[in-house]
Amino acid sequence: MTLTARGETRETEVCIIGAGAAGGIMALELARRGIRVTVLESGPRHDFARRADYTRRFIKGENPWQSRLPGLDRHTTSGDVEYRLEWNRARGVGGSTLHWEGYALRFHADDFRMRSLHGTAEDWPLSYDDLEPYYGRAERALGVAGTSDDPWASPRSTAFPLPAFPMSFSDGLFTDACRRLGIGLHHLPQARNSIAYGGRMQCRACGTCHVCPTGAKASTDLTHIPQAESTGYAYVLTEMTVLRLEADRGGLVRSAVYAGSDRRERRLTARVFVVAAGGVETARLLLLSASPDFPNGIANWSGLVGRYFTSHPLIDVTGRVDTRVYPYRTGFSTAMSNQFAARRDRKKRGAFYLEFMNSAGPLPHQIAASSGAWGPELAKRVREEFGRTLGIRVYTEQLPDTGNSVTLDGTVKDYFGNPVPRLTYGIGPYERAAMAEAQEVAEGILRALGAKDIRTGAAWYASHQLGTHRMGRAPTSSVVDQNLRAHDVPNLYLVGGGCFVTASASQPTLTIAALAIRAAEHIAEVLRGA
Amino acid sequence: MYSLIVTRRRLLAVFVAAAGALLALLLLWRPARLARLTSRLFKPRLDPTTPTGSLSESELDTILAFAALLVEGRELSAEERGYLVEHVSERTAKTPGYLALYRKTAGVLDGLAAGRFRSLPFAERVNLITRHGLTRYDVRIREHLLPVRREILAVRALAVPDLIGGYYASPAGWAAVGYATFPGRCGELARYTRAEA
Repeated sequence: MTLTARGETRETEVCIIGAGAAGGIMALELARRGIRVTVLESGPRHDFARRADYTRRFIKGENPWQSRLPGLDRHTTSGDVEYRLEWNRARGVGGSTLHWEGYALRFHADDFRMRSLHGTAEDWPLSYDDLEPYYGRAERALGVAGTSDDPWASPRSTAFPLPAFPMSFSDGLFTDACRRLGIGLHHLPQARNSIAYGGRMQCRACGTCHVCPTGAKASTDLTHIPQAESTGYAYVLTEMTVLRLEADRGGLVRSAVYAGSDRRERRLTARVFVVAAGGVETARLLLLSASPDFPNGIANWSGLVGRYFTSHPLIDVTGRVDTRVYPYRTGFSTAMSNQFAARRDRKKRGAFYLEFMNSAGPLPHQIAASSGAWGPELAKRVREEFGRTLGIRVYTEQLPDTGNSVTLDGTVKDYFGNPVPRLTYGIGPYERAAMAEAQEVAEGILRALGAKDIRTGAAWYASHQLGTHRMGRAPTSSVVDQNLRAHDVPNLYLVGGGCFVTASASQPTLTIAALAIRAAEHIAEVLRGA
Repeated sequence: MYSLIVTRRRLLAVFVAAAGALLALLLLWRPARLARLTSRLFKPRLDPTTPTGSLSESELDTILAFAALLVEGRELSAEERGYLVEHVSERTAKTPGYLALYRKTAGVLDGLAAGRFRSLPFAERVNLITRHGLTRYDVRIREHLLPVRREILAVRALAVPDLIGGYYASPAGWAAVGYATFPGRCGELARYTRAEA
């Protein structure tokens, strides 16, 4: 352990704020190169031995990943759609990978060129080809199961490290219907062990992926942080929340001010700072770090920190079928279609992909509670009604919009007395046009299956918080460069989904991981060069 | 000729007629809103100011004797009883209002039985709860306005759905649909690829 302490001030080479997907990966990538890293994590180190208890709590409707400190997760909302964070982020070593679905999709080459190809939004400052080798490394590190049967996927130079999960019973029904309609259905790649891998066991279909009881789903508390710590170069301080960053007159960050449950302020000094606290908290921390030299917050010369808050609007389309479909035997889906996610005109409406759900429809207790029956008739009703619903979930691309934002709400304070984040969010016509098309496609598939009582749920949103410190070439229109270095603070890196320029329709975590590996490589080069 | 003298009786008649007309107008104009308003005003609710804690053993036995009729219509196995005990105990210990609700439910049942409900033979228990409508948990809005005992309505509207929901959310609910493994109980991975036996 190379950490040194001088009273209330510690020092390290690289300070990483957040031990989630991006922070955990960066910690390992830097530590394995012999760079001293200290990770400050606001949440606890969740004891893996307690997963069974966490699973039980999750089933009872509790979210075990929320902060234990009262008020730390507080936030306010505004806008057309109320974007809540209670079930949409996780605090602790592992961060959002503790509760993610594990879907590990690459972006498509088109996704990086929205302005060039479709005349809308912006191009990324890097291309799919630039990121492709890092995707491969991220897939190996997380253990992604898949197969190259997706005709719309962009080229890949390496095979999936794990075999794909077999299609489910209900996927078989969807496959037939999609074939008749000319819709391509293929495997859904996921960072979940289809076979034992990386010292973690094969998935046992426990059905509670929000809390994976076996560790078969990749999460950085299992895949990256222990490896980073075992190098002797990484040290993780848990239950320590960073309150602000302090910069010197030369425009470099000098220290991270942090505190634990005792609210006592400490300082960590470092040569390089990496903020990897998720799209909401990273933006908030930068805004909280305002000072006379940085009146709008650190790294916010462009005024874009917190702007362009983006997610993936969702809809579920369900239908009732006569045959039994045996849902709720896994917590994840195994088939999807990228047919509408790439190689299409995206000027007026977004891309979307279809997830063919392995679990849809009412649960036994929901059938029971709404049946009005009792006694033997009740049990019979539950038996007869269960397992006759098929569902398709649609993930839609959202365009960046300056109206959607993360700002500070000074009227409400968190545990430490800091203003909480205010999330302003709405779903615009671009996304709604894609959802309308997606609904038509999904309903068509369900009709082809002979489904009745076809319904589309209200639009909601994924647990993806993107775009709040976007990447770009110009300091006037972006916050970080293609290496995720802040334009106006040379020793500050902002990693995670906040750096996305556009959202794609795909899940963001694999792209977050690939970008984090690439940024770590860059930081190592900078430090070595220095 | 009509007399213009306003008597108390006439005033009352006018008031009742006006109230009736207003109600009829409301019913015709906004029936859904009126139903919501009635429901909001009169629907039984948990009292969050009451403490959490545990039921006595006899109270719990009474609740289980009632629940067995509702959820399966037969005596429950020890395992099935265990699921209900876990559910009710967790409710009363963690969520304010449930201890009072279940205590009240046990009291109502013993009151109807004029003794110990749990000691009645199975058929008598069934007879009692059907006679008093305790199996009708889809309480209609108009029932809130009828002279039905508030305690009975609270049992029907709150306790019965909670017992049914709790039981069918447990492994017993999954057993009812033929699943030996289910969310929270891990099993063989490939099972999801085929139809259930």
